Amino acid sequence: MIDYIPRSRAYYGAQGYQPYDWAHNQDTPFSPSTKPLAQARLALLTTAAPFNPELGDQGPGAKYNAAAKFFKVFTAPLEPIPDLRISHIGYDRKHCAADDPNTWLPVAALQAAERAGEVGALCPELVGVPTNRSQRVTREVDAPAALEACRDMGADVALLVPT
Amino acid sequence: MIARHLEANGIPTVVMGCARDIVESTGVARFFWSDFPLGHSAGKPHDTTSQAATLSGALSLFDAAQAQITVASPQIWAEDERWKEDFMSVAALDPETLARMKAAHEQDRATLGKIKSSDAG
Repeated sequence: MIDYIPRSRAYYGAQGYQPYDWAHNQDTPFSPSTKPLAQARLALLTTAAPFNPELGDQGPGAKYNAAAKFFKVFTAPLEPIPDLRISHIGYDRKHCAADDPNTWLPVAALQAAERAGEVGALCPELVGVPTNRSQRVTREVDAPAALEACRDMGADVALLVPT
Repeated sequence: MIARHLEANGIPTVVMGCARDIVESTGVARFFWSDFPLGHSAGKPHDTTSQAATLSGALSLFDAAQAQITVASPQIWAEDERWKEDFMSVAALDPETLARMKAAHEQDRATLGKIKSSDAG
């Protein structure tokens, strides 16, 4: 296991930057499932960004691309599978070629699980959530917007796949 | 933080990810952890077996978990674990690299500032 928090502190500290203040909570809200997953409606949430050819190199193999970041929660139909990329995120560029979107956006695998009856139904759209640096914005703006999107689609449960 | 908000409002969640300490520090209800390089929260590339197994492990937590839980995927990235030394390696930060990164970082900040101000407008 990699200890990402101390490693990022050391890494950015060596560059002269203040370390990011990662969220830390003592308590954790837990909501029990009220129905089996095989009968539940599932929403997929992702931090990947819609590909926009006007925003520079977004991969595969792109360097960090700040221009590809987004700052508002969005929804996108699951079919056809949307082209969402991760060039705006600090993933492991040496050991992730970012040439297979299924490693960060498991839509095809979820559709297979739905066909197999493991999931009752998939919500027709996924929910894209920004990787805002501000925890306050995430908490006060993005999280309520994501909740509203899930409720609008009648989601019983949510699968979050952050990169 | 998004998962916490959904949970607090009655929607059970599972998070799939690779950065265990970050996710556990935030505190989420159900976490399926893959000890893979960042970018592979949903499994190995071009490996539908790995991806299906990763998803299956994550989905199983909806029915199985009765309380906050982290479950580690049994999959391993590679027998050779030296890949773990590469990410954000301070040892790799020679002065030339530092200068290049600082310039890139300042450019990123300027780009983000422009995007945010155009969003606000």
